Formats: sequence, C-alpha cells, structure tokens
Amino acid sequence: MTIRSFDLLQPRSLQEAVEFLHKHGDEARALAGGTTLVIMMKQRALHYPYLVDLQSIQGLDGIKNEADGIRIGALATHRKVETWPEIRRAFPCLAQAFGYIGNVRVRQTATVGGNLAHADYRLDPPPPLLVLGAEVSTLGPQGSRTIALKDFFSGMYETALGPSELIVDVKVPFTRSNSQAVYLRYSTLSANDWPCLGVAAYLAKNENGRCTDLRVALGGLAARPLLIDGLTFTKDQILDRDVIDRLLDLADQQISPFSDLRGTEWYKRRMARLFVKQALEQLSRSESVK
Amino acid sequence: MKREITLTINGSNERMTIDDADTLLEVLRDQLKLWSVRESCGVGACGSCTVLMDGHPVSSCFLLAARSAGRAITTLEGLSEGRRLHFIQEAFVEERALQCAYCTPGFVLSAKALLDENPHASDEEIREYLAGNLCRCAGYADILRAVRSAQEKRASAPARS
Repeated sequence: MTIRSFDLLQPRSLQEAVEFLHKHGDEARALAGGTTLVIMMKQRALHYPYLVDLQSIQGLDGIKNEADGIRIGALATHRKVETWPEIRRAFPCLAQAFGYIGNVRVRQTATVGGNLAHADYRLDPPPPLLVLGAEVSTLGPQGSRTIALKDFFSGMYETALGPSELIVDVKVPFTRSNSQAVYLRYSTLSANDWPCLGVAAYLAKNENGRCTDLRVALGGLAARPLLIDGLTFTKDQILDRDVIDRLLDLADQQISPFSDLRGTEWYKRRMARLFVKQALEQLSRSESVK
Repeated sequence: MKREITLTINGSNERMTIDDADTLLEVLRDQLKLWSVRESCGVGACGSCTVLMDGHPVSSCFLLAARSAGRAITTLEGLSEGRRLHFIQEAFVEERALQCAYCTPGFVLSAKALLDENPHASDEEIREYLAGNLCRCAGYADILRAVRSAQEKRASAPARS
C-alpha cells in the first residue's frame, strides 16, 4: 500500500460532513475529486487520519439554470462544466478554461469546488470566474454564507473558508446582452501543464460601442489570482490605444509576479502585458457577440 | 479501515475486502490480477493506468477503490471476447500502433471512450482527447492512424462499440 492508512468517512448530508470535519478538526480533510489530495497523500506529502468523502452525498454535482445565472454544484466535474451546453453558450470562456486543465481523465475526476478550495495559483478557472463576478456558497459550523469570489482567495493555497467550512456551489451570474468575455492562457512547458499565466477579460458596451463595464483578472503570476482594480476610468470610453495603454500601466502596477518553473518575474511581467493587451484587443474588435 | 465492497469489473460483480487507503489500481492488479492496468507516473499524467468508469476514462492510480463501489469499471480485459480482439485492438495491431506496448491498454480504452462519445471525431479532436496518454516509443502517428481505422471499422458495422 502506498497511502498510509486512514478512515474514509461517508456522510449522507452536507450537515453531517461539516459535523465530521468539526469533530476531527485538523485530523480530517474533505475529499472531493481527490486529484490533488489523494496524490499528495500517495506521495506522503500530506496525511490525514480521516477523509470525509463528499461524493457520498447526493445532489452536490448538479448544474442548474436559474433566472439570473447558472449554479454549479461543488462536486460537478471539470468535464461536466466543459461540456455542459448551457455553460458553453452563456460562458464559453469558462467552459474553455475548465477544458484546459490536465487531461480528459483528470477533468473527469476533478471538481469545481475542489479546484477553488485548493486555491493553487496556477489554476485556470479563477480568472474567468473573477471577471464573470462569480460567488461561492458555503456551509460551515456557523451556518451558510455567500462569498464573492474576489474575496475568496487569500494567499498561496489559502482561502476565506473557515475550519470545517465547505463549498456548496458556485453561482455565475448571466452577463448583459451586449457583452463578451475571453480567457487566454499561455503555457511555456507542455500544453497539458499548468499555465505560465492566464488572463481573463470581460467587456460590456452600450449601443454606441462605448465601454460600460470592463474587468480584467490574471492568474498564475503570484500567490493568488488578481482582479485588477480601478478600471472605472474606462466607462464611456472606446477601447482605443490610449485607454488600453493606461490600463496596461495600471495592471502592471498591481501585479507582483514571482519566478517559478514556468517563467521568471521579468518574463511574466512582460507576458502579462502582452496577454492583457491581446485579450482587450480581442474584445474591442468583436461585435459584442453574445 | 478495512471494508467489504462489491466492484463491478468487466461486467461481473467482485466481492472483496479492501483498505480505505487502497487505490483502484492496486485492487485491480494485486487482487484481481488484471495486468493490463499499469502504473507509470502515479499522478494521472501519463494514462497507462486508464480504466473506464461508467464509460468515461479515469486514472485508476489515484482513485480510491472504496469510492468505486457501484460504478461499472472496464479494463482492457473487458473489451475482447474470449480470444477475439476488440476492433480497436485489431486496428492497433493492423496499424502497428505499438512498440513496447506498455501504454497501449490506456490508449485503446481512451480511444473507445472517445469513439463512444464522439464517433466522428476529427484528427484534431482525437489528438486533443488522447493528449493525456503518453507513448515514449513515440508511436503517435501510428496511434492516430489506428484510431482513424477503428473509427472506420465502427462506422461500417454500427452495432460495434
């Protein structure tokens, strides 16, 4: 046996899962798809005497259309999101981002909730979810709450989730009719690898083609994905070269890339500028297809 | 913790005692002696431990066997009928899409899942779907040809799957 022995606890409800986690404290961990946790336990980088199996709870993997958005259950797999027709229609960049991860087997197993709770800085879904204004619903010992995704990531592998608190689902609100979002990912190693960086951008325009709402988020650069601040100056502007240059300078001030296997700090800063520019140019060229 | 589970492997129910920490790969190899399921990278990147779970490809090296109860597991051994090879296996042999063959079971199972899901997959879609199966003898061109040939075999005899 390669994994050190542990007990797999199989709750029948979310409430019971929270109780198990609460009871065992640091000795227990919630297990979603297991694509990270099981591998890390196999490699003996981590060990928990108890794993709380969230797959044993019915109904956590659904994807539901609501009046104002799509609600994705925490246990929905990446593959399900990637191939779900309504998500491909409403949020093509999100389906694309989930489709970039690992390979088809990993996507068949890894879950949306696990992806966010793991909070690895190189994951693809956070940037598009940030520009789309997603929010996370949770259940913990203190009850349930909703956390805007922009307040969710707090550091390297760290989130706003409290002890024994679980993600229940992720809600992605429908965007305005005259809007579009893109996600660009740049790999410096193999295509199946984590990205060197990922850039998501969202643009809503009025009938005169002027910007009413612009959002930009970057992943892969630093300890957590970042939604760029202070873009209100773009309101009522056309995305011309001046506006784009000003935005690129602003983004450059806010990012703090670190060097890793996939690029040095210097390189990532240059690439961030290039890919944000490409994303904005794609959005400003498009006739707001939606 | 030890537990008794029933796994549905290649259509038959197998009752067995496992440990919660056992991976599906360990149970398939060590208890059921299904040698087509192979560990290589151990982290889900290479595809040599691929099995089908309810028809979809998964990496058995990091799935817990305890969580596989009640799901239909297919290994390469479940494709052939007696000594008669499955048509995807035939295609791999005819196109010589193997050299050392360590990766072949994973490729054949992934190809089966792909063709069941998308019978008319384009070359691009085949490449994309199989991108997570690695062949270090670098037989990729032959493998692509084998999958295309299997696609034709499947189309000419629609009852095949």
